[in-house]
Amino acid sequence: MPLKPLKLAVIGGGPSAFYVASRILSLVPNANTSPPVRVHLFDRLWAPHGLVRYGVAPDHPEVKNCTHKFDATASDPRFRFFGNINIGDAITPISHTHKLSLSSIFNSYSHVLFATGCTLPTLHSALPPSQHCIPALSLVHWYTQHPNRSPPPALDKISHVSLIGNGNVSLDVARMLLTPVSTLAQYDVPESVLDVLSRSSVRHVSIIGRRGPLEAAFTTKELRELINLPDASMVPIEPSFLKPSPDLTLSRQQSRTLQLLSKGSKNAFGSTPKTWSLDFYRSPTGLIVDPSDPTTAELSLAHTMVDPRTQRAVSTGESSTLPTSLVVTSLGFHGEPTASFYDPGLGHLRTLGARIITNEGHALKNMYASGWAATGAKGVLASTMMNAYAAADTVLGDVLPDREPEEPKVLVEDILLNPNPDLDGVPREVAQGLKEGSVTQYGDWKKIDEEEIKRGQAVGKERERMNWEDARKFLETVRDRSPH
Amino acid sequence: MSNLCWRANILSRSLPNCDRQLSLIVRRRITTKSAVTQSPISLSSRPRCQSPGAKSRLAWRDWFSSSQIRAIHYSPVTRHGGIERPASGTGIKVHFKDSKGSLIKTVEASEGDDLLAIAHEYDIDLEGACEGSVACSTCHVILTPEYYDQLPEPDDDENDMLDMAFGLTDTSRLGCQVKLTKDLDGITATLPSATRNMFVDGKKPTKH
Ligand SMILES: Cc1cc2nc3c(=O)[nH]c(=O)nc-3n(C[C@H](O)[C@H](O)[C@H](O)COP(=O)(O)OP(=O)(O)OC[C@H]3O[C@@H](n4cnc5c(N)ncnc54)[C@H](O)[C@@H]3O)c2cc1C
Ligand SMILES: NC(=O)c1ccc[n+]([C@@H]2O[C@H](COP(=O)([O-])OP(=O)(O)OC[C@H]3O[C@@H](n4cnc5c(N)ncnc54)[C@H](OP(=O)(O)O)[C@@H]3O)[C@@H](O)[C@H]2O)c1
Ligand code: FES
Repeated sequence: MPLKPLKLAVIGGGPSAFYVASRILSLVPNANTSPPVRVHLFDRLWAPHGLVRYGVAPDHPEVKNCTHKFDATASDPRFRFFGNINIGDAITPISHTHKLSLSSIFNSYSHVLFATGCTLPTLHSALPPSQHCIPALSLVHWYTQHPNRSPPPALDKISHVSLIGNGNVSLDVARMLLTPVSTLAQYDVPESVLDVLSRSSVRHVSIIGRRGPLEAAFTTKELRELINLPDASMVPIEPSFLKPSPDLTLSRQQSRTLQLLSKGSKNAFGSTPKTWSLDFYRSPTGLIVDPSDPTTAELSLAHTMVDPRTQRAVSTGESSTLPTSLVVTSLGFHGEPTASFYDPGLGHLRTLGARIITNEGHALKNMYASGWAATGAKGVLASTMMNAYAAADTVLGDVLPDREPEEPKVLVEDILLNPNPDLDGVPREVAQGLKEGSVTQYGDWKKIDEEEIKRGQAVGKERERMNWEDARKFLETVRDRSPH
Repeated sequence: MSNLCWRANILSRSLPNCDRQLSLIVRRRITTKSAVTQSPISLSSRPRCQSPGAKSRLAWRDWFSSSQIRAIHYSPVTRHGGIERPASGTGIKVHFKDSKGSLIKTVEASEGDDLLAIAHEYDIDLEGACEGSVACSTCHVILTPEYYDQLPEPDDDENDMLDMAFGLTDTSRLGCQVKLTKDLDGITATLPSATRNMFVDGKKPTKH
């Protein structure tokens, strides 16, 4: 009996997509004795690697070393990447992307895996986006030059920034605002961004958390980086916050966080041009702008405590206000409500194990999800990788004759994929985009990658990023006639 | 200045503790391309380094053709530990075990080699997403107490990453930070269990 083919379409080209592809391609040899395998990644962005390119902070270049493994995966002849292809609808469509319907994918592939991440920022009900309030993701998109073109913040007109939430994204943004521009200039920070940062008049960054140091979402590594900044110092933390009740057993990370916070920042508070603070037990309730002085706003904060029973932040009844120039909400992320199989209650796709679940609770045959699309916006690359490997094992369990299918085993076939697709065929729209030169492939990306590094080198930095217009122009000059 | 010398310079300016990883990369590049002649400036023994674009130092065409060759031979480049295997019987012995405690392989390596590089050299499935820069915790291994106690204490950076490791134990270390000495002959490194649904960063009581 001929072996069943696995022609897998992966929607999204972030780390989880690459880790799934890597696992599948390394576990199934490219040999006659194995099922024929193809893995095609589709991303709406023209460049691959998802948040590794358009999220990870520029001063964390080591984190991006994972792309060497992705390059190795992409070198497998059974792998292809197609950039500038948006599958289904997008909330904020990028003008130059091609739109491809899921049904076109179903016609051309035997299996489909969603690795679409969680692309939208969670907003605060009391703080709607405005001139004085933006989500952290806008700033991340600005400093990474994400194709959705977030405008630069007017840092030259403001002195005080309030970050709401104390997760790692919040600390990333704080570091970008507080790190000397000369340090950032060596990394992968676009010149236009350096330009804005060098004119910044920001003097203080307030990081506001509704719970305390023990519940803070940041990790010790990120906290230590902030603490060690050369030109900034931290407002000392109220000592009583750092003395947990003796009957609490602290996790290792919690005790290390407390130790770090008790020591305070490397530079004594007040000895530096810039300062920052961790303002615990404060929950925003509104933002008022005085029309006669639009440079400052008043952030109202409810004082909170942690309910020992539920671990939730509850109001103490007190409140205060904080004058600030810009509020940046950093409260996490969720998936796109218009995506198929999105569960608004969960904030991500509905899954069980790595399988997609219908509204009625049935697991769908040959349909999977991995990474943040499946788990929600939680976890660092290590956890995304583990999750992706588990998803790859689920796919392989359904395909390899010597494997047992993974749970759940009862599957419905509501969606008709193509069990015998043309292995090397691509959907018509993709073929058209390739012909026009508007769809990117991994080979294109490697040429751009090399050129970006070269351009960066010329000005003494890690890389100088291209936007799509630059990339397209550059590709026209270097694309050879051969496909792939 | 060659690309790499530039990189060595910028790195030594920006990240003061990073010679070994860089030299590892240099060696890797030498073995694939023999393009670099100058060794990087040594600053300390602490392997803490980045190499964004290390791969891109190869021209795209070289990358592509060498990767095509790799694809045919089925040995992705990330598998190479960048170390030299000692002659059989002369090296320091390392036992790698899986999470269930079954022996995967016993291998030999030299003084100064780290467990991550050794695992890669011998095709053992230990990840090293940040390539030894203490920025990912994917190289987490569990040691036996006798050997754990012989090692210098993990420093703050390593502890920060261990905070985020899955299945952390009292004798956990980052594989990329454990360097072999003669005293460690016979050391056992157990890979942590890859349990499902471990999506958290390490701590965090239930939230809202
Ligand atoms: C700002 C930020 C900084 C981070 N920094 C670090 C760090 O320093 N270290 C660390 O370990 N972890 C970090 N993380 C976490 C890490 O980025 C995630 O664990 C990881 O990226 C999740 O991978 P993913 O593939 O699931 O999602 P993503 O990386 O988000 O990839 C999803 C991809 O799918 C694409 N996509 C979505 N919808 C569609 C569609 N309809 N059609 C086509 N394509 C689509 C998106 O364009 C995107 O490229 C950070 C996260 C954020 C938000
Ligand atoms: N360097 C890195 O390793 C790195 C960098 C960036 C991101 N990441 C990872 O990416 C993931 C996402 O990070 P993230 O920072 O976006 O999210 P996160 O870790 O979930 O943090 C979100 C923060 O927002 C707060 N919050 C949520 N809703 C709120 C509300 N209504 N009012 C007040 N505060 C509210 C949360 O407080 P409560 O806890 O009280 O809900 C929490 O402090 C994390 O796993 C993170 O570790 C890692
Ligand atoms: S390889 Fe990343 S921490 Fe060791």
